[in-house]
Amino acid sequence: MNEETKKQINARYERELNKGEFFWPDSIFKDAVVSLGIFILLILLATFVGVAGEPKADPSDTSYLPRPEWYFLFLFKFLALYGQIPVVGKIEWLATVLVPSIAIGLLLFIPFVDKKQDRFYAKRALPLGIMFTMVVDIVILTLISDVPTVAADDATLFVKLSASLQPYAGLVIPGVVMALLFFLPRVYKDISWKSMTWLTGIGSFLMIGLTIAILTFAPKLESTETELASTLAEQIFAGQDLYSLHCVECHGDDGKVTVIEGVEGLEGKAISPINSRDVLYTVNDASMAEIIAYGRPDSGMNPFGRMYNPEGLSKGEIDYIVTFMRYMWDDRFEIPAEALKPLFPPLFEGEVPSYDVHIAPIVKRYCVSCHREGKESNNYWMDSYDNIINMGDNAPNIVAGDPNSYLLQVIQGHEIKDAKGEVIIGVMPPKSTLKPNVIDVFIRWIMAGMPRTAMDAAALYVQPTPAVTPTP
Amino acid sequence: MWKNIFDWLNERLGLNDLQKSLLERPEPKGNWWNTLGSASLFLFILQGLTGIFLTVYYTPSPDHAYDSVNYIMNDVAFGWLIRGIHHWGATLMVIVVFVHMLRVFVTASYKYPRELTWLIGVGLLIATLGMGFTGYLLPWNQRAFWATTVGTQIAGTVPFVGEFILKALRGGPDLSALTLQRFFAGHIWMLPAVLVGLIGVHLFLIIRHGESHWPKKED
Repeated sequence: MNEETKKQINARYERELNKGEFFWPDSIFKDAVVSLGIFILLILLATFVGVAGEPKADPSDTSYLPRPEWYFLFLFKFLALYGQIPVVGKIEWLATVLVPSIAIGLLLFIPFVDKKQDRFYAKRALPLGIMFTMVVDIVILTLISDVPTVAADDATLFVKLSASLQPYAGLVIPGVVMALLFFLPRVYKDISWKSMTWLTGIGSFLMIGLTIAILTFAPKLESTETELASTLAEQIFAGQDLYSLHCVECHGDDGKVTVIEGVEGLEGKAISPINSRDVLYTVNDASMAEIIAYGRPDSGMNPFGRMYNPEGLSKGEIDYIVTFMRYMWDDRFEIPAEALKPLFPPLFEGEVPSYDVHIAPIVKRYCVSCHREGKESNNYWMDSYDNIINMGDNAPNIVAGDPNSYLLQVIQGHEIKDAKGEVIIGVMPPKSTLKPNVIDVFIRWIMAGMPRTAMDAAALYVQPTPAVTPTP
Repeated sequence: MWKNIFDWLNERLGLNDLQKSLLERPEPKGNWWNTLGSASLFLFILQGLTGIFLTVYYTPSPDHAYDSVNYIMNDVAFGWLIRGIHHWGATLMVIVVFVHMLRVFVTASYKYPRELTWLIGVGLLIATLGMGFTGYLLPWNQRAFWATTVGTQIAGTVPFVGEFILKALRGGPDLSALTLQRFFAGHIWMLPAVLVGLIGVHLFLIIRHGESHWPKKED
């Protein structure tokens, strides 16, 4: 650039300054307004949207679908689409290194590539067209980042379409538009900025249209909601539920079992009571979590971590169990008051319990540990309302209004024998007895005809007849 | 009395000169789009302040990072607000910086005499994205862990030196306590230092050359 142009530019800027304003107080006022707006927006976002919870990192859970921060999603999608290109698509570093390097290089050297001194938009159709196409591409790549890039062979036509349209929307059309923008002015010297704008507009229109099609045809994603325990009480509850499911069979619901009974393969194994000071004072949280994850083969403890079993416990879940054990049994820890809530709300006279409110938490605590898929339990799974009523080799285990229902008999200490006098169902739970108020819940529930929801149960409520006080 | 204090300070600091050169400088007619740069600076300062508060409780170790973030969210007074602002501030900062860059591109403000301001700006953009990338791992949750696993893997595909970059980022072949420590150091020391330095030069250049005027037909 020669000195003459520089002088012209500086003189032009002087003219603008003379017509202009002062930084203080004119410009800074606008700056302050915008910053204040941003600050208020942030407080609103933090208060009303908050930060979504996520489970703790678990290196053994390789099934987790990685997702970068949202502003990298377009790069992620670009890489996925790039991988679909035949031949070059297999050379990964072209997309991961070369393309981004060229992009950053271009960005850096724009002042040296675009050397013309024109600043008015109508004189800059090429750079603005390319920029606009790139911005639209970044936006649509971000929008379609969750739509699968490859459809399964047995997918519906629409789903296949939503996958196969993506390379056109994200790579082909923007590529063609940018190439045209670049080469047309070189072939037709007098092309007007309006034609260039039309070209950019049509390209973006096509890209956005295809994106809408892709999003409409996209398969519905199943949202996998994982329950997260954030407060201490919630963690203790979560740990208790997991303990009831995975640990009770051997360690008992209070952790004081010293000899395992009735568990296949571990029958008669002597173990240390895990609610004892010996265990709780000598093993710290980290070691406890490791014992649960990796097991202790010599003393019969099976590994429960996900690295041994795809359906095993995650790191976060193991931590919940450890928290539960500490606060429940370790006398150096004081259990928070809100964690001492009873398993089910106590029943008053004449009240009918429901599955949702009373039976489900009881069954989860005392029964499901054995009565579930993959356990020897006469095929009686107690994992849902329907299964509790209908399943099992000896079904029906529950008959509405029948006080001699199998389930009621075995929880009250009576074995069920067949015609030949052989025991077909033993006493339940096998090693302990339920508390009388728990048995009472079962009796009332079955006698009232097993209502499912709290509303059904309330409808069955019978007002107890008040005792007649004899009048003297 | 106040006048005496001011005069004393003015004599030593040159406040009047500063006021003339920094605050009372003439500018072209203003435009709301021109506020995006100062908005980015405001967000950077806000991120810095909330970040400093977060480090009071945050522990960069795989055993405690997740729980310490949980503690900030549930037990520290207004911890949820500080973290919420930091979390959303990161998102907003990327948007504001990006739109700021688009504005500069549209008005062609990167041309003479402001080429160097643009170069520094690109550096600021990359450093901001680096802050996003390193900060994402710190809560040590599933999302963070696996996104970083994949992100660092991508860096590992660079021909010849990829293996070295991957190990340098992770501090070993896999994501571990070292990775978290490294990202933490990068997030709170290295990248902010780079950002502060670049912002300083960026601001100096803006004051030296003035804000560009909105282009008209004759430009």
